[in-house]
Amino acid sequence: MPFKIYKKYVMLLAFTAPALIFYAIFLLIPTISGMYYSFTDWNGLNPNYSFIGLGNFVESLKEDPDFLNSLWFTLKYVLVMIVLQNVLALALAVLIESRTRTKGFFRTIFFMPNMISTIISAFMWTFVFSSVLPQIAEKTTIAFLGQSWLGDPKVSFFSIIIVSLWNGVGYMMIIYLAALQGVPQSLKEAAIIDGANAFQTLRSVTMPMITHAITICFFLTLNGAFKVYEVVYGLTGGGPGRSTQVITMNIYEEAFSNNFRYGYASAKSVILFAIVLIFTLIQLRVMKKREVEA
Amino acid sequence: MRLKKANSLLITLILCVGAVVSFFPIYMAVINSFKTQGEMFASFTTLPTKLHYENYSQAFHQTHLLNSALNSTIISFIGIGGIVICSALAGYKLSRTQGKLSGAIFFLFVASMLVPFHSIMIPLTRMAKDLSVQGSTYGLALIYIGLGVNMAIFLYHGFVKSIPRELEESAQMDGCNEFQTFFRIIFPLLLPITVTIAILDFLWIWNDFLLPLLMLTDVNHYTLILSTNMLFGEYNKDWSLILAALVLTSIPVILIYAFFQKFIMEGIAEGAVKG
Repeated sequence: MPFKIYKKYVMLLAFTAPALIFYAIFLLIPTISGMYYSFTDWNGLNPNYSFIGLGNFVESLKEDPDFLNSLWFTLKYVLVMIVLQNVLALALAVLIESRTRTKGFFRTIFFMPNMISTIISAFMWTFVFSSVLPQIAEKTTIAFLGQSWLGDPKVSFFSIIIVSLWNGVGYMMIIYLAALQGVPQSLKEAAIIDGANAFQTLRSVTMPMITHAITICFFLTLNGAFKVYEVVYGLTGGGPGRSTQVITMNIYEEAFSNNFRYGYASAKSVILFAIVLIFTLIQLRVMKKREVEA
Repeated sequence: MRLKKANSLLITLILCVGAVVSFFPIYMAVINSFKTQGEMFASFTTLPTKLHYENYSQAFHQTHLLNSALNSTIISFIGIGGIVICSALAGYKLSRTQGKLSGAIFFLFVASMLVPFHSIMIPLTRMAKDLSVQGSTYGLALIYIGLGVNMAIFLYHGFVKSIPRELEESAQMDGCNEFQTFFRIIFPLLLPITVTIAILDFLWIWNDFLLPLLMLTDVNHYTLILSTNMLFGEYNKDWSLILAALVLTSIPVILIYAFFQKFIMEGIAEGAVKG
């Protein structure tokens, strides 16, 4: 009998070892060592560095206006994205689902932008914002189109949102479409027979049946939005000044292009991780309660 | 009935407007990539009077397109292959083994899915330097394996539950050892989820920007996305060239999309349900 238990562990380790090795080297150890560096004043090169406790954390949250601005900007972005991305994706999914004959066509069109790399999308839109729209504005005298899409911090926030939505809505839409297909037709018909209109059916029958998809899409949007980097890098580069700098950019700059303060940048990374974790756990806890079984 | 017709017309109208907006940047990029700078500044919105292929040939050479596409292919191929094999093995065994150790290992993998890449990019760069895999195409592929296994293990773990245990028991009766059972019986049965994982990972690795930016130093090792990024930096205002490069870079994924559309959509839905 003991031999059998022993064999079970050997087999378990034999099957998981290849994955565990890659995972440990490139994900687990970096995660742990990053947390360790966050308590040091290491500059990435000098073999001598000292342990400075919570110093980096205190400095980043108290004396680093650039970091706080990027944190604030990112939070605003996350919030707007969660609302707009999900509302838009769900609306598109409901509309597409209701038109049987054109379903495939519109699904293809709206999902296509998601295939294109985020950074390439940002470059394409830079062209649209900086050249195409101003020219159209000039020719049609619609002044609105000619505004400084990427140069004015207030407007560029929305430009960043537009491109993020353009790139990301299709993905969420597919998840919502799959969930909508799982709602039994009989339930909707019963509601209509009972005298409910399309909107009431959507609110009282369809929505409760797809809460699991809403939970997932909120989770994915939340997680993705905190990690935003490429869209902003491609559109504004964080500028003008640092007005559109997101938290990931701030970390990158601190570690690789400005001061090579590895320890300090690591502390900011840990803060990012903690924020994502807290927001995710709250979100999952709140939304899991609302789910119903089909 | 008339109301219903009006409604349905309105829905179609909304969807069409959405489709135009959705397609607009791609359309702009494509038509303008065939124009000269002068023609562009006359009007961005009109179709080109004559197709200027020279933008494409220039972009093709400036981005060292074939070389970078080859690098992207190698990285994706090794990365996906490694992820699939490592994760199928681990996901299968973790799903079939009860006990604390198995549960702990599975939890370790799943919990790490919440770690944002940006939180580990600094120590990861150090690690890559220390192991001297930085700057190498193959090294980058290995890193993708390390970062990709957690999600794939999660998906395999869920999928294995749908495979009856009797199959492997009878294979072992017939004298297969555990690895033979896995590769001959189980792995082929995992094909649907393997396709899902391969496609999702392909889109991730092929389109990724930041990790190659951090890891690759030599232009000859650049991925397609990285080469395009460099071009964008160098020829900032030369839109005819940049647009041609953007279109060229996007062609492979659009082709993949055209061929595997059904699998991609199913894969996303599947991944989300399991997630």
